[in-house]
Amino acid sequence: MKRNPITITIGVLLLFIFGLLLIFFQVRTTEVAMVTTFGKPTRPVTEPGAYLKWPWPIQQVYKFDKRIHNFESKFEQVFTADGHSLMIKIYAGWHIAQPQAFFPRFGDSVTRLEDALSGLARSAYSGVVGTHSFSDFVSTDEKQLKFEQIEQEILQHLQKDVQAKGYGVEVNFIGIKRIGLPESVTKLVFERMQAERQLQVQRIESEGRREASDIRTAANLTSAKVLAEADNEAARIRGEGDKLAAASLQVLDQEPELGKFLIQLRALEDFLKDRTTLILDTQTSPLNLLNGSPSSSTTTRSGPKVSSNVQE
Amino acid sequence: MSNGIDLLEPRKKATPPSAPVPPEPTEDAGSQALSEALRSSFVIVKVVLVIMVLVFLAQGFFVVQPQEKAVILRLGNPVSKGGKVLLEPGAHWAFPYPIDEVVRIPVGQVQTIRSTVGWYRTTAAMEAAGTLPPAPESLNPAQEGYVLTADGNIIHVKGELRYRIAEPGLDYKFLFADASNAVLNAFNNALIYASATYTADDALSRDVGGFRERVRLQLERTIAEQKLGIAVDQIDVQASAPLKLRQAFAAVSEAEARRGKTLLDARSAANQALSQAQGEAAIRIAAGESDKTRMEQFVKAEANRFSSLLPEYRKNPALFRNLRQSEALQRIFANPQVEKFMVPTRGGNPREIRIQLNREPEKLKTLEPPKGDAH
Repeated sequence: MKRNPITITIGVLLLFIFGLLLIFFQVRTTEVAMVTTFGKPTRPVTEPGAYLKWPWPIQQVYKFDKRIHNFESKFEQVFTADGHSLMIKIYAGWHIAQPQAFFPRFGDSVTRLEDALSGLARSAYSGVVGTHSFSDFVSTDEKQLKFEQIEQEILQHLQKDVQAKGYGVEVNFIGIKRIGLPESVTKLVFERMQAERQLQVQRIESEGRREASDIRTAANLTSAKVLAEADNEAARIRGEGDKLAAASLQVLDQEPELGKFLIQLRALEDFLKDRTTLILDTQTSPLNLLNGSPSSSTTTRSGPKVSSNVQE
Repeated sequence: MSNGIDLLEPRKKATPPSAPVPPEPTEDAGSQALSEALRSSFVIVKVVLVIMVLVFLAQGFFVVQPQEKAVILRLGNPVSKGGKVLLEPGAHWAFPYPIDEVVRIPVGQVQTIRSTVGWYRTTAAMEAAGTLPPAPESLNPAQEGYVLTADGNIIHVKGELRYRIAEPGLDYKFLFADASNAVLNAFNNALIYASATYTADDALSRDVGGFRERVRLQLERTIAEQKLGIAVDQIDVQASAPLKLRQAFAAVSEAEARRGKTLLDARSAANQALSQAQGEAAIRIAAGESDKTRMEQFVKAEANRFSSLLPEYRKNPALFRNLRQSEALQRIFANPQVEKFMVPTRGGNPREIRIQLNREPEKLKTLEPPKGDAH
């Protein structure tokens, strides 16, 4: 027939595609593949792209995810070099590197591989932990802490073992996921922590008291110093006054006798300003006048407010 | 075109019987009708095929959403256009599967994961209600999470990490089977590591910020080492004392608070004492000043008096003295505050007197005439 070119083209195309699907297979960038011929692994494919194969049932393709898978070990008790028991759990990133080695052992089961890894991991971490002391795992001193070194050692140990086993798998990294202590030890740690807290409370309280008394003492000391300084200052000021006074008193040098007399007089008056009891000998001037003519003088001298009784 | 005829099997079948036409004319008409029907159905098939091809091609269109980027895998390999692998948001075209495959990568979208390997056993309901589970006497490692601190203590730590897939994001998608799990483990590891370098007190209260920073540093290091291809947005870390020791830890904080108060009291007392001392000092200095002034004034006054009296004194010193002395005594004797006793003499010898030194109470001041008792 003449009207069929499109039809024919489409038909051929469909056939072609169908045929291609039978003999081609594709490996994604995240995959590796294993081609089996009559069930026997014959050709590994590790690079992404499109590949040819004989159609089923001659050849068959098994694909594996070659991305990094996560593996976690059990949380298990191991012993450190200094005899502490420690619980440790690690995680690891691994991927399938050689499908030809992986496929015959594990088929396409990742779980079976993880079982195998579990044993290798245990020997790796228990081996490495056994060569380190407890303080390598936890320490405030970053130089003493060997956390990352331990991880590195476990990784190397595990990588070596996995390679030796020829699983066709590579371990990319490992990390410690948990560190713990056996249950019975946690109880002891709790008791120790409790005791530590009590000590801490006592220390804080006594420290507080000491600091407070230090503050008070320092304040008293400062106060005393301030007062002493003030006294010094006051004395200095008074001294200044004395100096000024001395300058003024030079005037008195003109007639020292008069100066002395005036000052004595002033002092006597000041001294007798307040309540004072004065006992006078009649010999004293001017009372000695009394000795001459007693009665008249007494009255004139003492005035109305003074009454003096002389008793024999 | 012979091939085409082969394909049209039914029609071919219909034609041979047309040669011996006469026996069954109705059949010829029937086969003609059949042929017509087939022809028209063939047209339909063609149209359908064309539509299918169009649909096939149209399926190649796809839209990359704003919060994501995409990669085309052609026969399994990432396609790069001008060195760029990532397709920006917008409409794109790719060959349909199995030639091309579009992989979307949520670059820029913030993802959240929570680490609870170091947290005590609790339930969502308890968390929501804010209640704590009963405090165990010891920690069963199978059930309870915790971490060891640098000083060998036990604390609980949990954290929340917000991160974004960093561009180009190919590693996150193509290098890891379960990248978010790998990130979570890196975060767990960072928490364990940071705890191993921090003492319990520092991680719990004294240096919470530093602890969080240590977690972040360690996490960033692991991200770089393991090529996780993410950017950390935010890290929240929460630490708690073991449930059984919460009270003991609280007692420590209370003691700290009490110390703070004691110190505050001491400081305020100290300040008060100091300001009192300063006040007192000012008073003492002022007293000094006033003494100085008084002294100055006094001496000046004295000097003035001296100067004014000097001429008089020089005229007759003895008379001057007597005069002044008498004046002064007069003033003294006139002062009611001064009690005077006179001790008379007998035959020029003073008489013995006995004084009882016992000052009378102040009230006597008021007595008008002071009693004079001489003996």
